[in-house]
Amino acid sequence: MNHFPQAWGRPRDDIYGHYNSSYLQTANPTQHTQSPVVTGTSVVAIKYKDGVVIAADNLASYGSLARFTDVKRLRKFNSSTVLGFGGDVSDMQYLDRLLNDLDVKENYSHADDEASQLSANNLHTYLSKVMYKRRTDFNPLWNHILVAGISSESEPFLASVDLLGTTFSSPSLATGYGAHLAQPIMRKLVPDEEAVKGISKEQAVDVVKECMKVLFYRDARSMDGYSIAVISKEGIEIKENEKLENQSWQFAERIRGYGTQVN
Amino acid sequence: MSSPFSINGGAAVAMVGKDCVAIACDLRLGLQSLTVSNNYPKIFPYGDVYLGLTGLATDISTVSDLLRYKVNMYRLREERAISPQTLANLVSSSLYERRFGPYFVSPVIAGLNHKDGKPFICGFDSIGCIDFAKDFIVSGTASDQLFGMCEGLWEPDLGPDELFETISQALLSAVDRDALSGWGAHVYIIEKDKVTKRLLKGRQD
Amino acid sequence: MAGMFAGPQEMMGYSFNTAPTSASEPRQHSFYPYTDNGGSTLGISGADFTIMAGDTRSTSGYSINSRHVPKLFLIGGEGPKNKGARIVLSVVGFAADGDALKEKLDKEVKMYKYQHGKPMTVSACAQRLSHILYNKRFFPYYVHAILGGIDEEGKGALYSYDPVGSYEREQCRAAGAASSLIMPFLDNQVNFKNHHIPGSGEGHDLKPVVATPLPKETVIELVRDAFTSAVERHIEVGDGLQMMILTKDGVEEQLLPLKKD
Repeated sequence: MNHFPQAWGRPRDDIYGHYNSSYLQTANPTQHTQSPVVTGTSVVAIKYKDGVVIAADNLASYGSLARFTDVKRLRKFNSSTVLGFGGDVSDMQYLDRLLNDLDVKENYSHADDEASQLSANNLHTYLSKVMYKRRTDFNPLWNHILVAGISSESEPFLASVDLLGTTFSSPSLATGYGAHLAQPIMRKLVPDEEAVKGISKEQAVDVVKECMKVLFYRDARSMDGYSIAVISKEGIEIKENEKLENQSWQFAERIRGYGTQVN
Repeated sequence: MSSPFSINGGAAVAMVGKDCVAIACDLRLGLQSLTVSNNYPKIFPYGDVYLGLTGLATDISTVSDLLRYKVNMYRLREERAISPQTLANLVSSSLYERRFGPYFVSPVIAGLNHKDGKPFICGFDSIGCIDFAKDFIVSGTASDQLFGMCEGLWEPDLGPDELFETISQALLSAVDRDALSGWGAHVYIIEKDKVTKRLLKGRQD
Repeated sequence: MAGMFAGPQEMMGYSFNTAPTSASEPRQHSFYPYTDNGGSTLGISGADFTIMAGDTRSTSGYSINSRHVPKLFLIGGEGPKNKGARIVLSVVGFAADGDALKEKLDKEVKMYKYQHGKPMTVSACAQRLSHILYNKRFFPYYVHAILGGIDEEGKGALYSYDPVGSYEREQCRAAGAASSLIMPFLDNQVNFKNHHIPGSGEGHDLKPVVATPLPKETVIELVRDAFTSAVERHIEVGDGLQMMILTKDGVEEQLLPLKKD
């Protein structure tokens, strides 16, 4: 035990290396998030005739470390919308608080008035303005968000907004690796808005589960425990502790370095 | 702008017609934004096969001379003229020889096959990858503009006169939207037993 | 016992006293606030009409975000659906800036009518748009804007802008990813550049064809040709073609399919 308070609770340089001082509090200029820290990977979502199915795994990574394995990245907002967050988890939690405050305020101003509730498209517009403002201030919220729900016209609604405030909508959407791996699978089912009308809830759920499986196979920052939500006029069904089913690792047999073979 | 491909500027294009082919180039030679010559043709005849070269001017001379030497040697050894297909492979292998220190040129070939008289055009990247196109080949600093023009104006089976009008309009309008190309053009229309060379007076700015 | 009261200089082996107590320097800014969402737009004005067009693909790098993201927006009119609007804005470049610009211009045109009791003229709207863009001179809206409408004399009006607000009234303009492919085609087919009257002289004495306003049907065909050509040769252009045809009777919108590959 040493008697010098400066040493207490501090890693020793000779053992742990030089302390990275850039994390210390100072009177320097305000620091902004310039890169994400704890991150969530892909979110996938697809529209069907009566609503939207959305899914994301429950992993929050710290770089390549699978740091938190029980983080729910689908967040419910009132009874018509679910948000799926990719990117920085602390920014997600900030946005979740922001939206909860908004929800509380909305409930105070028009309590029990179903018709004047904020719908999915309203929420998407709100979020896109928050994100665009923050990028304009050079202080971005490091997320790519999918907004899934029912619009004010009582139609299925699916749109996305990213850290730059870029928005777009499509019959199926996916963030991160999902844009490369899941979108081709989902677009085969719903190439256009017309095709959405012929898709049942079961078909949509099946294709989303298939996408989560493909992502688990190929995305190193993914996990087999995931959340899935179905949003329709009847309300939101959300399951937060799903496990991937029917995994087949047979494809690995033929890939050198994937299976058990050494060379 | 300091890319070797866009120091001197220039544009070339080749097109297929009905029993004929056309190849054309602009006449500008520049040093970045300064024009140093308005009479610098970029098409070189090798018998009745024509080669267009755009890119770095020094490499245009080197490559055109190198190929003249190689084509002459071919003719002496084989005692026959080189066909467009053979020239294409000669250009390709000559460029690939310099795979890790390439000539900064984008060649274009146009000609009629000696045996069956079929139109042949092709283009290359600077290390010799051949692009066998059935319609048209563009190259040079105005290649984007040429792609837009050719894609809009070209149609299959154009006769020699229509092909001349098409390639001329495509080249002139394209180089007018490129600061590094222009100052007139040369157009060759190659038919079975006739080659027509026309000099176009384009915008002088 | 002496060690107990020894100063830090005797604490060999412990290196904590060299640990800094404040951050040495702020970390590097690495956030880039722009992206390119691809796509192309074009506008052509005629004697009594203006046609605006744009593809509906949205991209990020080599990925397609969506096959239906319009780049043409109605400006002014009534309510969120812009009922009765007579001005169209097209924006291509960074889509988030494009949306922000559209919302700002739309708000100001609507405020103008609210405050002055009459709709804004196209020329006034065009100048306002220039000012909006210049206001962000040192953190620009990363867009190439084209504004279309019908002027006070009933003629087709078309204005094009650079990202910081310099603008010009023109007969035709292509913007965006495939502008370099489309613009020379428009010069040739709309303004008859490099067209001459046969036999009217030699060399530069050859009389050029004077550009006259084209009929609406011809222009629509040219727009479709321009975009089908651009789709063939540019990977960021495709999926759908949105056209807005502005006449004295209002705005007619058309949506045509383009290749999705």
